[in-house]
Amino acid sequence: MNKKLLLLAGLIIWLGTEGFSQKNPVADVLIKNAHVITITNGTLEDTDVLIQDGIIKEIGANLKAKKNIPVVDATGQYLMPGIIDAHSHLALEIINEASSPITSEVQMRDVIDPFDISIYRALAGGTTISHAMHGSANVIGGQNVTLKLRYGTADPEKLIMEEAPRTIKFALGENPTRVHGIGKNLQPRSRMGVEAVIRNGFEEALQYKRVWAKWEKDKQDKKINSTPPKYNSRLQTLVDILEGEIIIHCHSYRADEIYMLIQVCQEYGIDKIVFSHVNEGFKVAPELAKYTMGASVFSDWWAYKFEVYYSTAYNAAILTKNGVVTSINSDSDELIRHLYHEAAKTQRYGGLSDDEALALITINPAKQLGIDQFVGSIEVGKQADLVLFDKHPLSIYAIPQITWVDGVKYFDRASDEADQRLKINVKRSPDPFLLSTGTHNCMQDVDMLFTENQHY
Amino acid sequence: MKSKKQLILPYFTAIVICLLVNISQSPAQSDNNGEKRVTTSYFLTGATIIPSPDKILSEYDILFKNGIIVKIGKNLQAPTDAKEINGKSLFVYPGFIDFGNKTGVKAPELPERPDNFDSSNPDPEIAGIHPHFSAAKHYQLDENLEEEWRKLGFTLGQKLPVGQGMLPGSTAVVIYGNPDNNNLLTNLQSQYFQFSTIRGLYPHTQLAVMAKWRDLYQNTVLHEESLKLYEGNQHIGRIKNDPVLNALIPVTQGKQTLLVSVNSELDLRRAIKMQDENNFKLILLGVNEGSSAIPLLKAKEIGVVLSLDLPKDSFTDSLPKAEQGEDYEALIKRGKAAYKEALTLASKFEKAEIPFAFSSLGTEKKDLFKNLNLMIENGLSKETALAALTNNPAKLLGIENINGSISPGKMANMVVMTDSLFSKDAKVKMVISDGYLFDYSEDAKLTDAKNQVWNYAAETPVGQSKGTWEFVQKDNKWEGTITYDSPKGTGIKKSEMKDLLKTEDALSFSFTVETNEEVLEVTVSGDLDPDKFEGKMNIKGYNQFTVKASKKVKPNKNHE
Repeated sequence: MNKKLLLLAGLIIWLGTEGFSQKNPVADVLIKNAHVITITNGTLEDTDVLIQDGIIKEIGANLKAKKNIPVVDATGQYLMPGIIDAHSHLALEIINEASSPITSEVQMRDVIDPFDISIYRALAGGTTISHAMHGSANVIGGQNVTLKLRYGTADPEKLIMEEAPRTIKFALGENPTRVHGIGKNLQPRSRMGVEAVIRNGFEEALQYKRVWAKWEKDKQDKKINSTPPKYNSRLQTLVDILEGEIIIHCHSYRADEIYMLIQVCQEYGIDKIVFSHVNEGFKVAPELAKYTMGASVFSDWWAYKFEVYYSTAYNAAILTKNGVVTSINSDSDELIRHLYHEAAKTQRYGGLSDDEALALITINPAKQLGIDQFVGSIEVGKQADLVLFDKHPLSIYAIPQITWVDGVKYFDRASDEADQRLKINVKRSPDPFLLSTGTHNCMQDVDMLFTENQHY
Repeated sequence: MKSKKQLILPYFTAIVICLLVNISQSPAQSDNNGEKRVTTSYFLTGATIIPSPDKILSEYDILFKNGIIVKIGKNLQAPTDAKEINGKSLFVYPGFIDFGNKTGVKAPELPERPDNFDSSNPDPEIAGIHPHFSAAKHYQLDENLEEEWRKLGFTLGQKLPVGQGMLPGSTAVVIYGNPDNNNLLTNLQSQYFQFSTIRGLYPHTQLAVMAKWRDLYQNTVLHEESLKLYEGNQHIGRIKNDPVLNALIPVTQGKQTLLVSVNSELDLRRAIKMQDENNFKLILLGVNEGSSAIPLLKAKEIGVVLSLDLPKDSFTDSLPKAEQGEDYEALIKRGKAAYKEALTLASKFEKAEIPFAFSSLGTEKKDLFKNLNLMIENGLSKETALAALTNNPAKLLGIENINGSISPGKMANMVVMTDSLFSKDAKVKMVISDGYLFDYSEDAKLTDAKNQVWNYAAETPVGQSKGTWEFVQKDNKWEGTITYDSPKGTGIKKSEMKDLLKTEDALSFSFTVETNEEVLEVTVSGDLDPDKFEGKMNIKGYNQFTVKASKKVKPNKNHE
């Protein structure tokens, strides 16, 4: 084949693939004269923020933009980083693979539902990133996925924040013991069993790693005297956890079980762990500060089952004051629409400052997800995930006006159409009462077979 | 507990084929009941032939013999041995191919769950992972059911394995031909995959199905590597037989297609993702939405089989005023647009020049052509609709050298219509399948109703007694004969029926049987369905036995 033809063929192939490996949409915008709540550098008054190609290019006064860059006059309004929810089940078709106490092989990125109307509702509440998690039915659940709420695409892959590191769901306490122990007569039946399942999993993973290492070495030395070992993505994922490639996000309530897992992680050399819910976290705050990547809590949810009675609305404040990287999460498609209210409660219960309170739903969850170098504050070079409020976001009267992800406007209160569905179910009648979507919860897809009562 | 070994019987194609052979009782005479065709050679004359979607041949003749199209041309010489069919004013199309169909395929018997059953780690068969099963092995021809497809013009169907789990087995292509033949065309056609599970055990949801597929794929590749290593090295331990991985080797080698059933746009995206991660030949079955993925499907050259099922229009009739909520008009408008989207899907694939096929799966037979016409009203060309029923599925099945169009050397699979296909009054007049003629014209139906053959079986103390009943209606009066094995051991005897009473739901008659010692008076009476009979046979002075009978469906003999 002559060179020109080869080049041409190459070009065609490149053009062919280029059409589908498209980068996620980014945009330019100049936001003028806002109260800019940077989170990491205080609040800047009457400040402009220039966004180019989805990245914050400049922050300052009287910024000039190129001709065709859209300008938003934000005089008197409050610009803050897009809200990040470190514990959510938004935009997922399925939440639990409740068939085994360890299902580390399953990946939430396989079941993203880009048509979930709740994504738009979350955007309308200023949320730009949600941590789409496996449920809490299993001791070691599936691998979670960090989503950027780029609503409007039919392609699930387009919602994935590719820069985000891998994370995985663990769950302690009543849920896994009820599902597997009581429901199916498997281990774990008690909190001791939960620990045993984790330890056994890690031990098996170490064996798995050794077996493969030996095979690879024999192969290299050309001393093959066995067949290759079986591939096991469940154990391989546990190996990846042990090697620090995956951040654990662990559903937990009680101080004893939290401390148990801290000890297990210490023993296995794991330091990438975040505790979720953590209602008794205030009892082990110094340990959480020292050994973990933080705690992600509810502002004031408790008493919905036995293990969550010992709780306080001061939890987030106590953890913060003890130096724990703390976030407030929703675990709910409804609450995710007003996480700024949840953050504000820490001022009533615990007297956190504005920056401390807002850090709970921005930079801190970003740290817990390992994405704080990209998002979570308004800094030059960071991705332009932003939300503009008419009033201070910690005011009960504040209403989100515009939400941007990568500089692209996904919500604008001024042009907010009533029907934001991407997909219409044609099998459904047009009865408006049937149009609401169900909410997701921690124990969804856990059949009645496994558990007699549904619980969070 | 049943041991795993019991499940690990290898299924050889030969066995499968043997099982499919309908071993008919070998008659004493070469044609004792006069059912054999007079000739296997047919000459269809003066018809409008559409050999492939883009061609029309007016007043052409077709000669086919022994199931093969021999010649197509104008004013052909009529061979002396051929039965002539007058094709004047008739339209002849290639026989339709149904790309996904489960009629006649039985669910496999799965092993019982042991007492100490661990739902988190079940045996693969219990978990619905049995790619080593095949549709061919579990296919049982039921002519009454298959004829329903043939009557619509289908001459081939890809049979899907039945099973609730993710890998129910391999598919097979069968001919809707003469039910007395073995009609398996290709076995192990493709490996069938679905995003469904036997819930309550692992894998329980699509989450684990995706994970399980990754593991199965990797382990199949490793298994193949192991087999090769074992072959060339005596110091390696025996490799345990693994029927699941063995069955998947052709898929990982790219030799066998993975036919993935999709129920939604999200399933469709998942299937594409599976192929992105681990390369294999992919055909999507039952596509019913997801036009946004068309460019991707086109670029990746993924095979597409659209569902013939369409949603019902639930937006044209509006709710009573009192029940209409806010934004009702806007909601109805969007609903209508979404409904329209479903109807135009096929035309969008046509515009993108993706050569798709159709599957009847999940579609009611009465809706098939109604839905095709709806698609045509919404932008699908008739040519592409025909291609999707003929040439395209033949290509996707890799049988285009013997099927999918009317040309010399191909199988004699054709649909003869009274008018051009998809026109309002077009009816299927005849179907030629595997060279056999099935007459579905109104005349034939009348004659068929007046000439019936039933197979009966009576349970007697000395075993089953079998034979046929033949009924002929003359001047609104039924006459009948019965055949039975002569008690004298002198072959098959035929007797006239006496006191014959045949209504829509009842049948009774009597006849006499001569034995060496005496003459027996036998009466038969019972309930009649259109195609089934159940009743008693009473031998005077002896006993009463159960008799069951069914109406025989056979190639119509009008043209034979």
